Amino acid sequence: MDRLNAPKHFISMLCLVVVLVVSSCKKEETTPVENAAVLHPVKLDLPGNFPPLADNPDNPLTKEGIALGKLLFYDVRLSGSNRLSCASCHRPELAFSDGVALSHIGESGNTLPRHSPALINVAWMNNGLFWDGGSTNLESQAFGPLSNEDEMHQNLLELEYKLGQVPDYVKRFQQVFKSGIKSAAIVKAIAQFERTLISGNSRYDRYIRKEAGNRLSEMELQGLALVNSKCRGCHAGELFTDNSFHNNGLDVDFSDAKLEGLFQGRYRISYQLADLGKFKTPTLRNVTLTAPYMHDGRFATLDRVLTHYENEVKVTATTDQLLYQQNGKAGISLSTMEKKAIMAFLACLTDSSFTQNKSLIK
Amino acid sequence: MKAFLLTLLIPVVLFTSCRKNDDVQPVTTQETAGKMTLSFKAVIGTADFALNKDFILNGKNLNFTQLRYWVSNVVLINTKGVEFSVPNAYYLIEQNNASTTNSEFTYPANKREDVELSGIPAGNYKSIRFSIGVDEKYNNNLSLQAGELSQLNGMTNVSWMWSTSYIFSSVKGKLTDGTTAKDLKIETGLNTNFKTVSLNLPAELHIGNAQSSAIVLNTDVSKIMEGVDIMTTPSIGASQASAMATVASNYATKVFAVKSIK
Repeated sequence: MDRLNAPKHFISMLCLVVVLVVSSCKKEETTPVENAAVLHPVKLDLPGNFPPLADNPDNPLTKEGIALGKLLFYDVRLSGSNRLSCASCHRPELAFSDGVALSHIGESGNTLPRHSPALINVAWMNNGLFWDGGSTNLESQAFGPLSNEDEMHQNLLELEYKLGQVPDYVKRFQQVFKSGIKSAAIVKAIAQFERTLISGNSRYDRYIRKEAGNRLSEMELQGLALVNSKCRGCHAGELFTDNSFHNNGLDVDFSDAKLEGLFQGRYRISYQLADLGKFKTPTLRNVTLTAPYMHDGRFATLDRVLTHYENEVKVTATTDQLLYQQNGKAGISLSTMEKKAIMAFLACLTDSSFTQNKSLIK
Repeated sequence: MKAFLLTLLIPVVLFTSCRKNDDVQPVTTQETAGKMTLSFKAVIGTADFALNKDFILNGKNLNFTQLRYWVSNVVLINTKGVEFSVPNAYYLIEQNNASTTNSEFTYPANKREDVELSGIPAGNYKSIRFSIGVDEKYNNNLSLQAGELSQLNGMTNVSWMWSTSYIFSSVKGKLTDGTTAKDLKIETGLNTNFKTVSLNLPAELHIGNAQSSAIVLNTDVSKIMEGVDIMTTPSIGASQASAMATVASNYATKVFAVKSIK
């Protein structure tokens, strides 16, 4: 009998061993019960016509991390004088842009040399953030506006201290990152929230996904065809951006190297002559909400942008070849009717379910 | 009977499974792992380096206010050619004056030249390798943490005026030539300027049995700027790409030398 039971003994002993090993290897610091809450991994709900999204193992999305990031995004404690939040220059009702060419609401009051980019589908921006791609990922990017003296001008040590005075933050950071309030964790949380800023439910999207009852007018369809044939070299794919850098013929002279090459475009990051005057392609999504346009906001209206492409493209060594659409001459030929159709189509890329999404706005 | 044997086995399993990684020793040697101090002694030629003190270099007067650099990826190589990579090896070597920030916080004045390394497999070592700067993975993502890497000590570029990444090295001070005075600010950074230094030790260094061994290196600050006309280029940043490459290569090949071992 005893012999027959041997395997049973063996299994129960094995179980005991496993239990003892596991329990004895627990870390010494025990966390309070409320902090030990389980994190809920989040898989983003991608629009059916969108490209897949790469995993981000260094900062996996969780429900709790995104919620913390949202709190931080709208919190004015993130600025030196507790006056500005990320949303001050990335307003949800303007598709997370700010509506002015060059902002001067920063801590110093100085006018910024570049236009606040709209935050739309940034989870796919895997080829550099900022107009010149100077930051490799959303996490690192956040340190820029946080600490720049013309923007939020927030000392990071002081930020950790300030947020540490808020018990709810202390609890949430412990829960999400198993750490105290550290600047690395702050930017990770903000990046998690930013990755949920997905806009893919415009009239165009519903049309392209063939959702019932969603049609575009004749003129809008004509505009789509024109955009497809004339603009998609850069405003590519369903994201309406190739996430790359182009010189779209705004300027003739890139010799001004002041502000560490700020006016030289991508060149200041790569130091390749071929990158002089190149800036990142912005998405056309929600473009009716994100005026003014270009990296310095120089064009107030879409009409003005089209006029530029039609007959103001400057020819330099790095002007993009994609813009030579007039029998080898720089510029995109557009009739008045064609411009009207393009404008009609661009309005179809406005996504009010994005700008009014309760989970994204405060 | 079997059950009884298993009970005996439990403590064995427990002890082996719960050992911390840094306690693990190679099975092949009887000697316990050793520790070592790696020191970076700043010098200017043959003189000791110091902040806020005048030095004459090539006829110009130099007065330094800061010397900082990241040392990373330290590897010790034994006489059999076996390499030991120090885990989480990211150290900020520095001499700097207190500097104010935009708030009540200040970076305190600090002099740090020693790095304590432990858990080194016992053996005889013949050379050392380390890098100046931060390798691409961590340089590209400031939210990843290892060793002493931090965004809080002013050795990152978080301004949008540059790539968001670490400042690999920084030398600051005043440069005077006759009546002309200039602010000196020589920085390196960017993945292309991540450089590795290899140094042979003058003799075999035994590490083990918890005895305190030491490698003392000289950091010759005068070599950092070699090959750069600092009167015309007193400020080296990302936009002085070729000067920065020269400085980075100086760090790799000229700045460091073994002073002594123990």
